[in-house]
Amino acid sequence: MQKRFLGALIAVLALGGSTFGVPSVAAQTTAAGVPRMKDGKPNLTGLWQSLSTADWDIQAHGAQAGPFYQLGAIGAVPPGQGIVDGVEIPYLPAALEQKKKNFANRWKEDPVIKCYMPGVPRSNYMAFPFQIIQSQKDILIAYEFGSENRLINMGKPQEAVTDTWMGTSNGHWDGNTLVVDVTGFNGMAWLDRAGNFASDSLHVVERYSLLDANTMNYEATIEDPKTFSRPWKINVILYRHREKDARLLEFKCVEFTEELIYGDLRKKAGK
Amino acid sequence: MSKRIFALSSLIVFAAALPLAAQTPAALKPASPGNTAGSNAKSWSLSKTPWGDPDLQGTWTSDDTWGVPMERPVSYGDRLYLTEDELKAREKAVAQSKQRIENPSDENHSPAKRQLEAAAKGETAAPAAGAFGRGVDAAPVPGQFGEYARRASKQTSQIVDPPNGRIPELTAEGKAKQAAARATRGKTPETWTDWSIYDRCITRGVAGSIIPVIYGNGLEIVQTPGYVAIRYEMVHDTRIIPTDGRAHMPPGIRSYMGDPVGHWEGNTLVVETTNFNDKMGIGPNGGGIQSEDMKLTERFTRVADNTINYELTVDDPRTYTAKWKIAFPITHEPGYQLFEYACHEGNMAMRNMITGTIAEQAAAAAKKN
Repeated sequence: MQKRFLGALIAVLALGGSTFGVPSVAAQTTAAGVPRMKDGKPNLTGLWQSLSTADWDIQAHGAQAGPFYQLGAIGAVPPGQGIVDGVEIPYLPAALEQKKKNFANRWKEDPVIKCYMPGVPRSNYMAFPFQIIQSQKDILIAYEFGSENRLINMGKPQEAVTDTWMGTSNGHWDGNTLVVDVTGFNGMAWLDRAGNFASDSLHVVERYSLLDANTMNYEATIEDPKTFSRPWKINVILYRHREKDARLLEFKCVEFTEELIYGDLRKKAGK
Repeated sequence: MSKRIFALSSLIVFAAALPLAAQTPAALKPASPGNTAGSNAKSWSLSKTPWGDPDLQGTWTSDDTWGVPMERPVSYGDRLYLTEDELKAREKAVAQSKQRIENPSDENHSPAKRQLEAAAKGETAAPAAGAFGRGVDAAPVPGQFGEYARRASKQTSQIVDPPNGRIPELTAEGKAKQAAARATRGKTPETWTDWSIYDRCITRGVAGSIIPVIYGNGLEIVQTPGYVAIRYEMVHDTRIIPTDGRAHMPPGIRSYMGDPVGHWEGNTLVVETTNFNDKMGIGPNGGGIQSEDMKLTERFTRVADNTINYELTVDDPRTYTAKWKIAFPITHEPGYQLFEYACHEGNMAMRNMITGTIAEQAAAAAKKN
């Protein structure tokens, strides 16, 4: 193994984590070779993507059949080791019932099917890349899925003016880690395709840290007293796209959903 | 969005009966005090980012050009700028509108208030005189939508080239496309494809995202070494523009917003965009027509602390018989912010419009029987 990779691996094991699930990586020490801005802060600019299957289900899950037998293997659910720190999501009893309902109806009810905004944190572990543009002031994240985006205000924190799908993001640096506090959600987004969800009281605290020049650790603490009995964490590794001339492409999905959303109306019109 | 508001925001041109003085068209002048924000030219100098690029960052809006038609009324001929008297009239209208919006009160009688009062009586309020941005001398739409010109633009049109300020003649292919589009717009809309790409909440395109309409005129520029990113409020599009002058993507990749590539020419950011699809056009809210071969060239030049001069050249020989250029300043305004525009998520209008048509058709059919 290359020395650098071995070093990172040792760091991961040494920093350990909880008893089950993904060990959390507190990457306060940033490996050498990390790109930096003029002021010394790590430069997170790049085209990033998760390799996990967390968008299907953030909890550990085996392979499953998909909703359409006609798609056979390509429409099936791939397995995943899960990104939840601690295996179980601490739902309140009523919320757990709602989650089960969501799961049972997920091929109809998942808002992302209709190209609705995936919100935070789900946008960060979709099977689509996103581009971080980090200036000396604010940080912009542009997502390929549905052309969503969010601006992370790095100045004086601003309260959410209104509830939104992507929330209101205020960020600051904690050593080499970008910490982003996200509030002001409208409670309409899910956390994955398996029906995990939160309410409009959702509060997410994200931590982005470069493990090396091409790998970033993403941790999010999820808090929602209306849905969960306590805060809980997810942890995902993000990988930099290094293909020659890799760019964010356009995935405007509205057109793929109009038949689904409005098709019943057209049929009524006899068209 | 109702068809009426959509039509209004298309800035239909009408011929103004005003005496003309022939004037040689000039290149768009940098912002000057009285026209746009323009801090004192002597004391201002362009700041650079820590990595040495001209700093264009911040929140910008095309609000000041609201009310200026995209195409110049024919009676203005080759005159790009208003006369002093015409400008005074526009300044007066802008000042009244600004005063009304920035100081809402019972006395101001904003249109929203009049409309509510009329509705309570079961009536419809007549639009205020000179309202809703038709033509050069119109007052900007005040009040309820929140976007308004804060300064009077000197321009008679957004198009500054060709000299007559009007879209050049279309090619045969362009004319055929335009006829087909008009036929669609003219018929009763029955399904989502009878509505515009904007009404369907897909996008407004590169030009449509910056040409001012009644709301959603804001954009944010964020830079990093090697890139300039522009995020538009409506419809939440982001363009990631590499500034290394790299090659465009292969022709097989086509999209609504195209593939932008930029480079710096002195203090000007020049962006060339290709790889478009042909599903929309150049105009307010993305109206108009274009071909897949269209190339857009934009120039962004910061000329004051709160002003960027913006130029857009349309080069599409399959559609237009000549290149044409739009130019106007975008400004930074204290307190102006972008909001999430979750268009598709909240698009009840599409459902309502389709069911409305069905109801109308059912009523008409019932009458026949």
